[in-house]
Amino acid sequence: MANMNSDSRHLGTSEVDHERDPGPMNIQFEPSDLRSKRPFCIEPTNIVNVNHVIQRVSDHASAMNKRIHYYSRLTTPADKALIAPDHVVPAPEECYVYSPLGSAYKLQSYTEGYGKNTSLVTIFMIWNTMMGTSILSIPWGIKQAGFTTGMCVIILMGLLTLYCCYRVVKSRTMMFSLDTTSWEYPDVCRHYFGSFGQWSSLLFSLVSLIGAMIVYWVLMSNFLFNTGKFIFNFIHHINDTDTILSTNNSNPVICPSAGSGGHPDNSSMIFYANDTGAQQFEKWWDKSRTVPFYLVGLLLPLLNFKSPSFFSKFNILGTVSVLYLIFLVTFKAVRLGFHLEFHWFIPTEFFVPEIRFQFPQLTGVLTLAFFIHNCIITLLKNNKKQENNVRDLCIAYMLVTLTYLYIGVLVFASFPSPPLSKDCIEQMMTVYPLLGYLARVQLLGHIFGDIYPSIFHVLILNLIIVGAGVIMACFYPNIGGIIRYSGAACGLAFVFIYPSLIYIISLHQEERLTWPKLIFHVFIIILGVANLIVQFFM
Amino acid sequence: MEESDSEKTTEKENLGPRMDPPLGEPEGSLGWVLPNTAMKKKVRRVRYVKTMKVKVLLMGKSGSGKTSMRSIIFANYIARDTRRLGATIDVEHSHVRFLGNLVLNLWDCGGQDTFMENYFTSQRDNIFRNVEVLIYVFDVESRELEKDMHYYQSCLEAILQNSPDAKIFCLVHKMDLVQEDQRDLIFKEREEDLRRLSRPLECSCFRTSIWDETLYKAWSSIVYQLIPNVQQLEMNLRNFAEIIEADEVLLFERATFLVISHYQCKEQRDAHRFEKISNIIKQFKLSCSKLAASFQSMEVRNSNFAAFIDIFTSNTYVMVVMSDPSIPSAATLINIRNARKHFEKLERVDGPKQCLLMR
Repeated sequence: MANMNSDSRHLGTSEVDHERDPGPMNIQFEPSDLRSKRPFCIEPTNIVNVNHVIQRVSDHASAMNKRIHYYSRLTTPADKALIAPDHVVPAPEECYVYSPLGSAYKLQSYTEGYGKNTSLVTIFMIWNTMMGTSILSIPWGIKQAGFTTGMCVIILMGLLTLYCCYRVVKSRTMMFSLDTTSWEYPDVCRHYFGSFGQWSSLLFSLVSLIGAMIVYWVLMSNFLFNTGKFIFNFIHHINDTDTILSTNNSNPVICPSAGSGGHPDNSSMIFYANDTGAQQFEKWWDKSRTVPFYLVGLLLPLLNFKSPSFFSKFNILGTVSVLYLIFLVTFKAVRLGFHLEFHWFIPTEFFVPEIRFQFPQLTGVLTLAFFIHNCIITLLKNNKKQENNVRDLCIAYMLVTLTYLYIGVLVFASFPSPPLSKDCIEQMMTVYPLLGYLARVQLLGHIFGDIYPSIFHVLILNLIIVGAGVIMACFYPNIGGIIRYSGAACGLAFVFIYPSLIYIISLHQEERLTWPKLIFHVFIIILGVANLIVQFFM
Repeated sequence: MEESDSEKTTEKENLGPRMDPPLGEPEGSLGWVLPNTAMKKKVRRVRYVKTMKVKVLLMGKSGSGKTSMRSIIFANYIARDTRRLGATIDVEHSHVRFLGNLVLNLWDCGGQDTFMENYFTSQRDNIFRNVEVLIYVFDVESRELEKDMHYYQSCLEAILQNSPDAKIFCLVHKMDLVQEDQRDLIFKEREEDLRRLSRPLECSCFRTSIWDETLYKAWSSIVYQLIPNVQQLEMNLRNFAEIIEADEVLLFERATFLVISHYQCKEQRDAHRFEKISNIIKQFKLSCSKLAASFQSMEVRNSNFAAFIDIFTSNTYVMVVMSDPSIPSAATLINIRNARKHFEKLERVDGPKQCLLMR
């Protein structure tokens, strides 16, 4: 009796010997199951020892384990009498999975975290997600709209989409009677508009994702084409003056958005017409006929991956390439100098006027550039301090606007066509699988209620997307156009109509609708519709 | 627990009108007398006939955690939802025998129902007679301290009248709901209050919670204090352990697997092992009972140790841990069997005073 001294160690992180640190463990354990299975319930076959280092469970913890097991035998499952309350069981992030053999492993939380991201990470994630191919179309869009108009339009669109994004975020909190913590925006739409709302919101978000993916596909085909050609030229010592880094080419072959937005150069180069080997190569390595299909082989396996953490690591590469792009743009601008002349209304030979009436093209592009409304809720859900959500959102939007302005101004000002070359492509390569994953999650999640129903479904979806990309790459590789149309279309629903409409309806339900608010939001809706319609006339 | 003493020949002797084996002095208000001479001559083994049950009262306000406590210590299924708002209407005669002849009675004290109060007052003498042990449970989160103390005092008065030699234990329960750094302070306060209130009776206080080891330790301490010859028991246990070269020998009470005494020859790492073993075996017993089987003994062996859990005396189980795996099981089992006889004799040699461990 005398030897039973009290042990006051906590059931927390001091559970295991501090000298050892477990590496990543391959445990497929859903922390959401924790409540029903607590505290330490896992099949031993699922525990993979990666490090040959075995953690021991503290005596305190294993005593608690035994206690809870024993108590659970004393009651029926329905009886709540002897269920361990929250304050005696460690929090999920401190939980160790305990094998009856005595070893313990810490749970690994996935990257779709549980509210653990700091503000900085959240802002960065929002920024990263919004930076897409649109960044390349901004200079072209500015050219379409005129310099001054372009600046103003960018800033105004930024503010408008920010407001609508704010509405999206707030829409979930307007419903007090329901538990909306796991809702995404389609769920909110379903609540207000029934299943029509859910399906239409899903459709529109898919339009945006697929549109982006088609653009990526086209760009990647271009890049692959040019890489292959470059290698071929290098091997055969052909001096191709018309290669990637040309500065005076008005039809840049890699990123046509910086140029006239017209068709990329499909025609073959003239200087090796005499070389049969080159002709052979030409036949097999054609930009619009064959290369897109080669890309299928490369990317389709990647798209069928199950785990998102694989892609988020990939995504880092995308960020790096964006930063590299910014750096390169700055560098080129410094080298090329500014070529700005301010003519207000009359086009001259090399410069465009400041204000053009084709500025809706820019708005179309910008709708997609500032588009994050379909996944903003998910991104903000993981914010550690939820009360900072609005602030973080505003900061992120400001950063994005600044980035766009910066790139747009610099590229436009150091016109003609700076070589936005390989860098943008590397970005595509990494973001593409992530987008594919996002699309799959969204669509399949709603159709089948399961993120990865089976390899079969995933394959079909990926085939459809890739097929669309290939078709576009073959027949209509006009990136600017694709971005415009898809952006305006889905932006119509997500950015303009749904947030405003939902806000109006919820205010009306609460009897707080006032005339100014109503007029303002209807005006937003009209703007959105006009945005879409006008794209077809430009 | 059924006794397996088929080999014992028993002679029943009617030794008097009241068969309440007392704790301390055989003489006293309970008036139990055994003529020594008659005992030595006639009787080889004595078996006392009970005419009245000796009780352990588990009392406390309704919702203070008595039913949970009982089911955890005695491994009974909880028959009903203990988180109800209502009081236990009936007295719970659980008929759990432990330490040989003690029966646990569970009472709700201070129910809101006037029916309850009337029942309580009218049945008072009945309830408080023949009480060996009073365990009073206080909910540390209770907002009605005055009322709790009032009921406690009336229980004490009844005890003083009917069973003045009873041992009093106070459990301050649900301590897990108090913040860690305040627990000692709050418990000290309560302990002082209770000591003060309990005069002239002596009470021992424990702080408990079902979510840590304190409950088990409190009940083990209670059981430890109820055994009169525990020092001698420990000495004999030590001899036994040294003779058979065991690492550790534990003596458990049969019904509850509370550790009565133990001997260890070297420092053990796990301070919680007693409760863990107790929980494991109780869980195993529950599983056995589903098959209408009853647990008797267990041997656990691996390359590091061999552990034997077996029935020892009529009220105890023994657990022997040998760290030398080369010693065959049979040898240890023979040793345990021989020790069993010795310990039973030990219980009887000490005479009528040690009737707690006898049946």
